[in-house]
Amino acid sequence: MAFLIRTIDFTAAGREIIRDRTVDQSEISIGRASENDIALPDLAVEQRHVRISDAGTGKLAIESVGGLGFGINGRTEMRAEIDPNVGTELSLGSSRLAISRDGDGPVQIVIKQVEKDEGAGDAIQGFALASTLPSKRLMAWGLAAAIIILLLSVPIITHLTRTPVENDPENLAAGQVRFDSTWSTGDLSMAHHDLEDNCEACHATPFVSVQDETCLTCHEELGDHAEMPRLAEGMAPFGTGDAIQWQIAETLGKEGPLGCVSCHSEHEGAVELKAASEQFCSDCHNGLDTRLTNVSFGNAADFGKKHPEFRPQFYAAHFDTELTRVSFDDSPVEQSGLIFPHDIHMDANSGVARMAISLGKYGAPLECSNCHEEEEDGYGFAPVEMESACESCHSLVFDRNGPNFRSLRHGDVDDLMADLASMDRGPRSAVVSGRGRPGQFARGGRYYSNFGRPMSAYIAINRALEPTGVCGECHIPTSTNGRRNLTPVNLPDRFLMRGHFTHEAHGDDVAECTDCHTADTSGEATDLLIPDLDSCRDCHQGETATKTEEITPSSCAMCHGYHTPTMPWRPDDHPNLPGNGGNDSVAAILGSLRR
Amino acid sequence: MATAPNNRFNQDERRRNADHVSFLKHKKFRWLWIAVLLCMASIAGYALIDQEPRPNGGSWYGYTLGTIGLMLIVWLSLLGIRKRKMTAGQWSLKAWTSAHVYLGLALIVVGTLHTGFQVGWNVHTLAYFLMLTVIISGIYGVIVYAALPSTLSSNRNELTRAQMLEALTALDRQLESAAQPLDRQQSDLVISALGQDVFYGGLFARLAGAYPRCATNRALKSLPETSGQTDDPEERVRALLTKRSDQLGQIRRHLRIRAMLEIWLFVHIPATIALLAALLAHVVSVFFYW
Repeated sequence: MAFLIRTIDFTAAGREIIRDRTVDQSEISIGRASENDIALPDLAVEQRHVRISDAGTGKLAIESVGGLGFGINGRTEMRAEIDPNVGTELSLGSSRLAISRDGDGPVQIVIKQVEKDEGAGDAIQGFALASTLPSKRLMAWGLAAAIIILLLSVPIITHLTRTPVENDPENLAAGQVRFDSTWSTGDLSMAHHDLEDNCEACHATPFVSVQDETCLTCHEELGDHAEMPRLAEGMAPFGTGDAIQWQIAETLGKEGPLGCVSCHSEHEGAVELKAASEQFCSDCHNGLDTRLTNVSFGNAADFGKKHPEFRPQFYAAHFDTELTRVSFDDSPVEQSGLIFPHDIHMDANSGVARMAISLGKYGAPLECSNCHEEEEDGYGFAPVEMESACESCHSLVFDRNGPNFRSLRHGDVDDLMADLASMDRGPRSAVVSGRGRPGQFARGGRYYSNFGRPMSAYIAINRALEPTGVCGECHIPTSTNGRRNLTPVNLPDRFLMRGHFTHEAHGDDVAECTDCHTADTSGEATDLLIPDLDSCRDCHQGETATKTEEITPSSCAMCHGYHTPTMPWRPDDHPNLPGNGGNDSVAAILGSLRR
Repeated sequence: MATAPNNRFNQDERRRNADHVSFLKHKKFRWLWIAVLLCMASIAGYALIDQEPRPNGGSWYGYTLGTIGLMLIVWLSLLGIRKRKMTAGQWSLKAWTSAHVYLGLALIVVGTLHTGFQVGWNVHTLAYFLMLTVIISGIYGVIVYAALPSTLSSNRNELTRAQMLEALTALDRQLESAAQPLDRQQSDLVISALGQDVFYGGLFARLAGAYPRCATNRALKSLPETSGQTDDPEERVRALLTKRSDQLGQIRRHLRIRAMLEIWLFVHIPATIALLAALLAHVVSVFFYW
């Protein structure tokens, strides 16, 4: 077997020197010792390192002789069998021996020296993922810088350098702070939706929580629930967690649990402002008397279970000018100055009913609505007008003048006196057409006139103002400075002032009038026909009650308002009500404390 | 001294523990239990508190969870500093890593409860999602560190990385001489195969192990069908190219496993630093617009 051994060396100038020699023997040895067929002067190579021999069928066997392995195709082996026609590279120390054969030619062994670890260290770096990606440090700083600049610095700088604008609810300015919408923790409520891009309208000062003052720049007309010190005193003590939070929060400038934002938490999504839960009220009002000893109302926690009896306000005595509040527990008696039995008027079998049936105006027994007219706002009823409600039956006709009847004017005793005094003193025959003699000047005659004292008028006036007279039918006679008079009618427009109630919501499909107002059994006008707590509870139970066909779960807010606790009926054009003054609002008090 | 052997035993036991117990099982899962307790306490507290109108990071419980979460995040991110200072004992690096993994997992619960399940396009949710990114990449990291090294080892076939490259270089040298008789077109194929960087291909090629533009494979495909004659130069080039392709295949499998082993850190670390920045923005913005 022949081996063509080709050694390639390089001169210092880099020129290649190629030496060929042919060895014709069945095996060759490679090693550092000079007696080897191929001597490699390299300390990393053994004296006798490798033997290459014919392994039959054209293959070559390479085996280590010296005990150290050899590199073949990158791997260290002690023995290998190769096909020289495919070729292989044997690595010994810094020498690379390329073994090949062309067909039946000699086995060629080309020996080359390589520089040790030719850039191997650098090449290995390519295995790390870092070689295809930007460095972790670069990515980290890049992302962090982007976040701090865009999401922190820009809003802060634009906030600090803006020119503050006074809030005007009619004409909201656009926000001046850039990118601060990325700070929003959630959508604003529907009412505040227009402020979505104007954070600084509420968040006016950095690191200062939203102040009541700021809220009141738009909501200036709001009333207080009670005076600030009393509110604080009446509050239920906090749980430990809340107490610590408020302590910290107030140290850091929050306005405390009575500030606007402690109840009106914003950024809770695009929701409508919801009425407070029963719990919100009962936190303070359940057991309020233990903290506030001088309140006039009882504790309340649940309309169905714990609510004080209603205390309607009305005139408790004739001639009163002030309304009195009396609890239903104390059997209230109303002194309206009227005499009026509801039961007779409502009885379908009474004379009143017969009378009503006979009158074209009614044609049927009386109903409530014949006298009580609902107001257009749906809340209450208009005051009963005598002329339209009563006079069809309780006629005030006192005189006949030709074909016309004269009625007494109603409402003022002076008018009554004047009308009666003008009553004709003597009856006379009708003025007829055609000629006739005047006849005798006498009572009943055409030209008769009674020039005497108007005795009959005085009698008529006196009779009318007597208990059995025309006025006394409904009014209570009295005398003023020795003159006959009537007790004034004293009826309040509204009896229950502290709660919100609408008749519209309790209309025909919900209840009959008599379900709540026991008018059909009331024989006296002194009966207070306002429903009491129990009658409301027939249908209304507390917030936690189960809703059925009869029962309506009712939280406090169904009837009561927080900001208008004493005046739910406050008219829009009447802002100057108690507790609603310019300088006792929450914000004003806090503002003065700070100053 | 009666206690001496006992002490010695304890000392040895401690050393054995330190040497051979996985950081996941450290001290009989001590940190796992602590993390589970933290989660259960957080969930119980969340369930017990009836926050109106809806759970919120700004309630006292929300602030408590937020503070715990913030401190955890800062501490967890300190592992990067801690791991460069190895010590033994109570706060050994292993204990620290164990705590890092389990408390990091607990942070999912603490952080999510702190959000009150409110998310939106804002810096707060950004911080939350960065936190989740960090944690999820960390979970991935723990899993691949447990599963992949054996695959990596078996793929090596007792070759070092340098040897793999060396084998390729050896093949390249043989290819160079074997290809001498080839014509122009075929030589070009060999040149492009030899000229292509071993590490050609980006992140996705590495992760997927897909190299559609591999010049070696293209050269193999473009060479004429096998003639069957062993002394045919084309046949030798083909055999060498096949070897080269196999060697590249091993290297690329190695690259793929390495990439899968390392990719999480390229998410975990930058996302951690971004998270710290987002947390700063989150906390400052909340109190700036208090």
